[in-house]
Amino acid sequence: MTSLDPRLVRLLLGIAAPVLALGAAFAITSLVLVVAGDPVGEVWSTILSPPETRNVVNIVNAATVLYLSGVAVAIGFRMNLFNIGVDGQYRVAAFAAAAVAGEAWLPGVLNMVLAVLVAMLAGAIWAGIAGLLRATRGVSEVISTIMLNFIATSVVAFLLRQVAVREEGSNIVSTRPIPEGSRLPGIPFGDLPNLEIYGFVVVAALVGLGYWFVLNKTRFGFDLRATGRSAPAATASGISVKRMTVATMLLSGAIAGLVGMPLLLGSSYAYGSTFQSGLGFAGIAIALLGRNHPVGIALGALLFAFLDEQSNPLQILVGVSPDIVAITQGVVVLTVVISYEVVRRFGSRLEQRRVAAALESERSAKADAKQEASA
Amino acid sequence: MSEKAMKPDEQSHDLAVRLRGIGKRFPGVIANDDINIDVRRGTIHAIVGENGAGKSTLMKILYGVQPPDSGTIEIGGKQVTLSSPAEAIANGVGMVFQHFMLADNLTVAENVVLGAERLHGIGAGARAEITRISDAYGLGVDPDALVEDLGVGARQRVEILKVLYRGARVIILDEPTAVLVPQEVDELFGNLRELKAEGLAVLFISHKLDEVLSVADDITVVRRGTTVATVDPAGTTARQLAELMVGSELPQPTREASTVTDEVLLDVRGLTLPTPEGRPLLDDVTFRIHRGEVLGIAGVEGNGQAELVEAIMGMRPGATGSVTVGGRDLSGTSTRERRESGIGYIPEDRHRHGLLLDAPLWENRVLGHQTRRPSVRRGLVDRRAATADTQRIIETYDVRTPGPNVPARALSGGNQQKLIVGREMSGEPTLLIAAHPTRGVDVGAQAAIWDQIRIARREGLAVLLISADLDELIGLSDRIEVVLRGRLVGEFDPTTVTPTQLGSAMTGAGDEPAQESA
Amino acid sequence: MRRTTKLAAVLSTAVLALSACGGGDSDSGGDSSGGGGGDASSDIRVGVAYDVGGRGDQSFNDSAAAGLDQASEELGIEFQESEASDGESEADREERLRTFAEAGYTHIIGVGFAYSPSMAAVAPEYPEVSFAIIDDEAAVGDNIANLVFAEEQGSFLVGAAAALKSESGQIGFVGGVETPLIQKFQAGYEAGAQAVNEDIEIDVTYLTQPPDFSGFADPARGETAATGMFDDGADVVYHAAGGSGGGVFEAASQADGLAIGVDSDQYETADPAVQDVILTSMLKNVNVAVYEWLTAAAEGDTPTGTTRYDLAADGVGYSTSGGQVDDIEDQLETFKQQIVDGEIEVPTTP
Repeated sequence: MTSLDPRLVRLLLGIAAPVLALGAAFAITSLVLVVAGDPVGEVWSTILSPPETRNVVNIVNAATVLYLSGVAVAIGFRMNLFNIGVDGQYRVAAFAAAAVAGEAWLPGVLNMVLAVLVAMLAGAIWAGIAGLLRATRGVSEVISTIMLNFIATSVVAFLLRQVAVREEGSNIVSTRPIPEGSRLPGIPFGDLPNLEIYGFVVVAALVGLGYWFVLNKTRFGFDLRATGRSAPAATASGISVKRMTVATMLLSGAIAGLVGMPLLLGSSYAYGSTFQSGLGFAGIAIALLGRNHPVGIALGALLFAFLDEQSNPLQILVGVSPDIVAITQGVVVLTVVISYEVVRRFGSRLEQRRVAAALESERSAKADAKQEASA
Repeated sequence: MSEKAMKPDEQSHDLAVRLRGIGKRFPGVIANDDINIDVRRGTIHAIVGENGAGKSTLMKILYGVQPPDSGTIEIGGKQVTLSSPAEAIANGVGMVFQHFMLADNLTVAENVVLGAERLHGIGAGARAEITRISDAYGLGVDPDALVEDLGVGARQRVEILKVLYRGARVIILDEPTAVLVPQEVDELFGNLRELKAEGLAVLFISHKLDEVLSVADDITVVRRGTTVATVDPAGTTARQLAELMVGSELPQPTREASTVTDEVLLDVRGLTLPTPEGRPLLDDVTFRIHRGEVLGIAGVEGNGQAELVEAIMGMRPGATGSVTVGGRDLSGTSTRERRESGIGYIPEDRHRHGLLLDAPLWENRVLGHQTRRPSVRRGLVDRRAATADTQRIIETYDVRTPGPNVPARALSGGNQQKLIVGREMSGEPTLLIAAHPTRGVDVGAQAAIWDQIRIARREGLAVLLISADLDELIGLSDRIEVVLRGRLVGEFDPTTVTPTQLGSAMTGAGDEPAQESA
Repeated sequence: MRRTTKLAAVLSTAVLALSACGGGDSDSGGDSSGGGGGDASSDIRVGVAYDVGGRGDQSFNDSAAAGLDQASEELGIEFQESEASDGESEADREERLRTFAEAGYTHIIGVGFAYSPSMAAVAPEYPEVSFAIIDDEAAVGDNIANLVFAEEQGSFLVGAAAALKSESGQIGFVGGVETPLIQKFQAGYEAGAQAVNEDIEIDVTYLTQPPDFSGFADPARGETAATGMFDDGADVVYHAAGGSGGGVFEAASQADGLAIGVDSDQYETADPAVQDVILTSMLKNVNVAVYEWLTAAAEGDTPTGTTRYDLAADGVGYSTSGGQVDDIEDQLETFKQQIVDGEIEVPTTP
């Protein structure tokens, strides 16, 4: 193994972990199906059947939303902060953006931009509370963000009632719809009418690019990653860990604020009682699955969206509850973490051996040279 | 001082514990190397040595926490292999840790029985046994008292009782006096004497020399991972022990001609750092270092050295007093500003403070230099320049690595340290703070690092050197200050001072009356 | 970093696992497909999309399922079911309806107003398919039937019953989630109680606020809320809180008070231990609406547009099992007649 090109080894190891995890998840889910007496073959053939055009659109759209959520969580992870509160942050943000945009204070596109900015600001503030608590009072962000999720639910419910408009005959409570001109047009896909990919997918891609750039290329990103790897070493190097904590939570929250935007600007045009929830928790799983890597998160988001979409007709076509994919998703996350740890240890041992071997050969080469010289 | 001859083998049945040739390596560090100790029954045997000398590793091996790489362990004359604490307990070895492992909300009896229910049950039998042990060894423990109501000394006795309850004949106490006030120390020593009178063997780990001398029957000194001597306390003084601990036989740094100038580069005035309770960790510390001067700080560990360094680096927000570097008052500035104004910092614990172990070397090169070229330009990390500069450090400082993209973890301790030294010498510092720069590194790296400190001095840096190794201090410093309980208590000229003089100043045995450790 | 990762993995798996559990044993749809047995005489195929909870929620969804079962048995209709998962997206709901349409189902019922936007979006794509939605009038189309109820009218009658039975002059209302729909229940209840006793004191509480819909499935919270009302002096409490109602009955039983059920005749379905505290139940006959729509559809005459199930149409009402309202039935019938005749107009908002 040591004779292989180290870069190739690293690539192989990188691929090994997710493949291992997916295989394990496939096996465990099948086992559950067998035990429950459900038709394993039919379930998998439905889930793995090639998606139709409209399903592809749905998958891409759902993945867009999940991707933003995954990136928001990943920003925290890179600094060893566990932002469980993306869920609350995006709901607060989506509500604030919907309420502001619904008022249509600005015309057309400006109103849309305002909505996005308001969302980022609201998400940042909501996450920033947890960041401040952590930096000033040492409150674990795990606890505070969970609590803030609950508070977000109540606050949004309370405020929604203040600003809600009700369509005649409907029982859905929602904010005033965003005017036509301030909606984000979709990207037509396929030949069917009304089949559009969220225009926000472009923003999501830019967010991914920005995430990669900021984290890997800028000083801020270096400080963030250094703090995540070792807070004492970061402190000794001159990084203010407290300031980084607040900054990271603000950034994570701002991205979390974008999570609801594809839905708001691309499909629902209002924040109401049927607005999609639970996206923040899916983001945690997806960030883990993608190993906090911008491309990895994208693949994770697509996988989750694919499983969700393809499982939807399970109950109708096969008579098995779509909840089975929740098991698959959960197992994927667990096995990914386990297999990455296994692969990491294996790789680390390999690396150490490689370093030792390289130094050894260097030394023996020197010794040989010496011998030759003396001979 | 009278060194004891090792006991002949035929008497080994009198020995409670016999360690031969114990060795333990961690990647890049030799923690233990050829450790030989004989512990006699019915004695208190002290193991002394500086922090990092390898005492803790040794005790972990004896308690089955870590297996040794080499060597043999005999307990009661029988060779054993201890692969877990449970096996150590089964062989009659018990350990009392520095940090107590008691459940506050349970009674003494419940704590003692917890995990050992099979021995005497959990009812009257267990209670009777606890009372018997308590009385037999004069521990005076009330089985029904709640642990949360007990003081530190009493908790320690409960820990000892726990060990005895499990049938230990050899008891290891890891720095037991560190948490006690003087009266409690006396009580503890009374208890220990009871234990040895009953034929038990007590292994007592400490670096407080006066205590060790007052209670131990035998003293083994550990230095740099190996046992350097076993002495009889009756014929030994604290100074002699201190000399043994810091050693004088290993390669010594040789002195060079003075390069000291008149220009003050570091001016520390009235530096004071209180604990939250108001006790001073640093007490009105004032000193200067000139261009081209190495100031050595000597002291027994835990007397404020770490706090002094961190206060100068701006990592201790509660510190008062002024720190001026190169004429610029840095009081109240951040660690980053201090680094930018020319402080290089070799931290005491390189794994905690000096490196990102899982990051490649070139990223470790950037660490601490995030605001300066060549690592960073206009807020962007310049990977190419940082890698090139890492390559320069690798070559100049002889860091043994296949290249700058290897994670720091893969390097040996000495090479990690050389990388840190190289990094901290980059960016033209005016002041170099080196805290225990050669601790835990091999002899070759040690010599290289000493060379670098001399070069720094020649190039006109001010160097603040903190070390537990008196030879290192004497060999490198232009001036030595001794720190005791957060205060600078004496200045010495390294050309004339002996390790003995330093040792007595460090323990407060010199001009000041020696105090019981508190 | 790695510690956080592990913690995160365990937590997120737990969340996913919980959401899987929350779905419950929802694959019953598979067993009951083609429930008509051998004499499948009708050529319509029915797809039913339930709201969260699905068949077996002892409440709203179950009531729709009862109408479906009845129609299936009597008319031999083939059907298939699917239920929503908590917090799903608009696209998921649309996809559910589309899957039915694509799979050849001719009649699709959306149980609950959550399907309003998705049905409005999907129905025009399948003009040959007939859709029906319960509790919503906002989704309109040539092939959409809106089956709505006059909950306020039924609630008026149980409000009157509560006021007639109350000795303390204080009664309570526990709403599951504060939506306009549940506010209709409250409005009718208050109006009915005040029609009997103008000075009556009415405690009102809602368990949760949208978008948190857990108030429909949290008996513990229902019990806490109702206990508070009984302690405060109320002696009759009406719940419009779905699955949380069990807690209200429990509280009434412990406080020696009375409770009023909702949607179906809960005297028949509740735990026998609390049966005797159930004064009456406000009947919202979703089953009737489903059954009638399917019957008409099987006869080839599928209704579209709004059908209002009110007192006059026996779409809402009150139950008499247990016999606790026997002594006031005359008064209640009088009120009912007045509402049917339009002499009393019941408000829909509190």
